[in-house]
Amino acid sequence: MLRLKNSFLLLVLVVASLAQTGVNPLANAEVRRIGEKLRCMCGACSYTVTSCNMLRCHGAEPMRAKLLAMVEKGMTEQAILDEFAREYGRVVLTKPPADGFNLLGWVMPFVAIAAGLLVIWWFIQRFRKPAAGTPAAEPEALARYRDRIEKDLEKLD
Amino acid sequence: MENLGSLALLLAFCLAAYAFLGSVIGAWKRRPFLVVSAERAVYSVWFLITLASGLLVYALLEGDFRLGYVASHTNRAMPVLYKFAAWWGGQEGSLLFWSWLLSCYAAVVVFTNRKKHRAIMPYVTATIMATQVFFLILNAFVVSPFQVLAVGREITSVPDGRGLNPLLQYWAMAIHPPTLYLGYVGFVVPYAFAMGSLIVRQPGDAWIHTTRRWTIVTWLFQSCGILLGAGWAYAVLGWGGYWGWDPVENASLLPWITATAFLHSVMMQEKKGMMKVWNMVLVSATFFLCIFGTFLTRSGVVSSVHAFAQSPIGKYFVSFLAIIIAVTVYFILDRLNYLKTEARLESVVSRESSFLFNNLILLASCFAVLWGTLFPVISEAVTGEKITVGPPFYNRVNVPIGLFLLFLTGVGPLIAWRRSSLDSLRRNFLWPTAGAIVLVATLAIAGVRHFYALMCFGLCLFVAWTVAVEFYKGAKAIRARTGVNWPAAAIELTHRNTRRYGGYLVHMGIVFMFIGFAGAAFNQDRTVEVSVGDTFQLGRYELTVREIREGDNENYSWQHAAIDVKRNGSLVDTMEPENRFFKASQQQTHEVDIRRRLNEDLYLNFAGPSNVNPEKFVLQAYIFPLVSWIWLGFAVLVFGTLVCLVPSKVRLQYPRTEVIEVSKKHAPIEK
Repeated sequence: MLRLKNSFLLLVLVVASLAQTGVNPLANAEVRRIGEKLRCMCGACSYTVTSCNMLRCHGAEPMRAKLLAMVEKGMTEQAILDEFAREYGRVVLTKPPADGFNLLGWVMPFVAIAAGLLVIWWFIQRFRKPAAGTPAAEPEALARYRDRIEKDLEKLD
Repeated sequence: MENLGSLALLLAFCLAAYAFLGSVIGAWKRRPFLVVSAERAVYSVWFLITLASGLLVYALLEGDFRLGYVASHTNRAMPVLYKFAAWWGGQEGSLLFWSWLLSCYAAVVVFTNRKKHRAIMPYVTATIMATQVFFLILNAFVVSPFQVLAVGREITSVPDGRGLNPLLQYWAMAIHPPTLYLGYVGFVVPYAFAMGSLIVRQPGDAWIHTTRRWTIVTWLFQSCGILLGAGWAYAVLGWGGYWGWDPVENASLLPWITATAFLHSVMMQEKKGMMKVWNMVLVSATFFLCIFGTFLTRSGVVSSVHAFAQSPIGKYFVSFLAIIIAVTVYFILDRLNYLKTEARLESVVSRESSFLFNNLILLASCFAVLWGTLFPVISEAVTGEKITVGPPFYNRVNVPIGLFLLFLTGVGPLIAWRRSSLDSLRRNFLWPTAGAIVLVATLAIAGVRHFYALMCFGLCLFVAWTVAVEFYKGAKAIRARTGVNWPAAAIELTHRNTRRYGGYLVHMGIVFMFIGFAGAAFNQDRTVEVSVGDTFQLGRYELTVREIREGDNENYSWQHAAIDVKRNGSLVDTMEPENRFFKASQQQTHEVDIRRRLNEDLYLNFAGPSNVNPEKFVLQAYIFPLVSWIWLGFAVLVFGTLVCLVPSKVRLQYPRTEVIEVSKKHAPIEK
C-alpha cells in the first residue's frame, strides 16, 4: 500500500514537473527506444510502453512519465530496466530474462534445429542408396534400361 | 425465435453424431445404405446450422436486444455491414460461424465425392463429423448464441446494445476473421482424407491428389487472413506496426507454417514415394494447430488483445485435442508398414535433401513461435514468476531462420532431383550469387550498416534472379519453337506447367514481402506537440500544420488536422489524419493518413490534444521504407497461388524408379 502511495506521489510529482517543462514523453527518442523494451502493464493489451495507443492508458501513460523522468536523470538503460523490473516484476520486460529456467526459453528453438539436423542426418544415412552398385555385373539388357531411366529422370522437373 | 435456433442446433448435434456413427458402422459392417444415409445426414446438418445462423444474423440485423449476444455485440447506430460481421465478432457467434463453415465444407466434400473414393469416403465423413460434433457440443450446450437476457424467470431486453469495438469497425476487419476461419476450418478436409486413406490402407497417393486443391485453397485463405490482419493493424492501430507477435497472431501463423511445409513435402511423396509418414504427420499437425489456434483465441489461456475473456471452453478444446492426437498417433503407428518409402536418396546435394532442409527450417520456426507463445505459461508453472515473451525474442530467433528459408527458396527449385553435379550448380547459381554479392557490397558502401537488412536484400536479389532466369530460359525455348513474342511465350510456359511456374510466382511474392520486412530496419519516427502553423522536419519531408478542425456527431466526436507535406521546398501532398472519440464505448480511434509509395510510406497519426500542454496537439509522424512491398508481394502471392490452381495444359507424368518393371517401351515424359 505504502509503495502504491509512493508511486502515486512520484507520478503526481512527475506529471507536475512535466506540466512545467511541457514535454510529451513520447517526444523523447530515448523514451521511445527504451519503451519498446517494456510492456504496457494495463493488463488488457500486449503492447509495449511505446506502441500502446490507448487514450489516457492507465498502464502506459504513467510508465512513460516515469521512464522520461529516469532518462532525464541520466540513468543508463540497464538501470532503468532493472528499476522497472523491481517495481512491476520481470513480466514488464518484453525480452524474457536469460537466467535459470528462462534460459530454456532461449535455447530450445536452437536445440530443436540441432535435433532436426540430426534427424535429417539419420534420414540421409538410412535412405541413402548403397554406393552405386557394380554395373559390370549387370546383364547388358538391364544396363540399357538403366541408361534410359537415367536419361528420363534427368528431365524430371 | 431463439427456441427455434436452439432446437436447430440440438437437432444438428444429433444428426452429426448419427452421421459419424452411421459412416463408421456402415463401412465396418459393409452396409452401404447406412453410409448413404450418413451422407444425407451431413446435408441436413448443413441445413440446420444454416438455419440457426440465419436466425442469429436476423436477430443481429433487426437488433433483437433480448438476446445477450446481440446486446453485447451490436448497437442501433452501427452500419449494416458491421452488424452482419458481429456474427463472428464474439465468442458464441464465432464458434457458430466455425461450425457453419465446417458444415459447408462437409456438404461440399460429400457432394463432390458422392461417386468417387467410395472406399475411404465413410471415414472421411466420419472424421469431419467428429469435428462437427465437437463444435456443436460447444454451440448447443456450452456457449449458445441464443441465450436470452432474463431477470428471474422473465425474459427482458435492453434499449440499445454495447456495439462493436470501434477499432474493429474497418472493412478489412469485417473480412479478416472469415478468411482466416476458411483457412482454419478448411484443413479438416486434407486431414480427413489422410485419415480415411490411412484407415483403409489405401494404396498410392490418391488422398494427396484429391486434396491438393483443397490444401492450396485453404492455404490461400490462411495467407489472406493473416495478411488482411497485418494490413488492418498497419492502417488502424496508429503506430504503423503490422505484426506484433501477439499470441493470437502467432496462433494463425503456426498452421500456416506447417501447411507450407506440407505443400512442399507432398512433392517428395508424389514424385518419389518418399516421406509418407512425415506427410501424414504434417497434415495432422496442421489440423491440430488449427484447433489449437481456435483454442488459444477462444479460451483466454494466454492474454492477448484478440482473445476473449477467460471462458469455460478451454477444457473442452484440450480434451478434443487429446482425443484426436491419440487417435491419429495410433493409426499412424499401427499402419507404418503401409507408409513404407519407395525410393532411396541418391545424393546429399539434391532436390530431395533441399526439401528436407525446407521442412526442417519451417518446422523450426513453427516450433520457435509455438514455444515463445507457450513459454510464459510453462515458465510460470515451473518457477511461479510471470515473464513476457515479446517481439525481441521472436525477432532474435526468427529473423535468421527466415533468411535461411529465403536462401532455400532460391536454391531448392533449381537443384535437380536425385543429384546435382558441381557443374550444374555453378551454371545455375554463379551469376545470381555474384549479383547478390555486388548488391550487398554496393549497399554497404552506400552506408547501409544493418547486417540482417543487407543479408535480406542480397538474398532477395539472389532468389528473384534465379526465378527470372527460370522464366527466361523456358520462354526462350518456346519462342525458338513457335516464334511468339516474349509475354505470350511466358504465358504459354506458365500454362504448360502451372504448378511449377505458379510456385515460382508465389516465391516471387515472398521475395517482395521480405523486401518489405527488411525496410523496417530503417524506420524513422518523430512525436511532436504542435499548434496551427507549426512546421517540423522528418527525413526529407517538411510538415506544416495548416489547420485543425473539431466536430461532433451522434456516434463520435472528432478532431481533424490538415498537414502540408513539402519536399525540397515544393508542396507534394496534403495529409489529413483524424482522431475519433466514440461515445458509446468511450474509446478513441485514429484515422491515420498514409502516403503510400513504393520507396517509403509517410504515416501521420493525429493523437489529439496533449495532456501536458492542453493548447497543443500531439502528432506522430513515421517513415516506413519499403512497407508497400509487403502488400505488393501479397498480391503476387495470391496471383501465383491462383495460377497453381489452373489445370496444366500439358499433363506431366512423373516416372518413379519402379518403372523398370513395367516398361517395354520408353515411358513418355509428356503426353
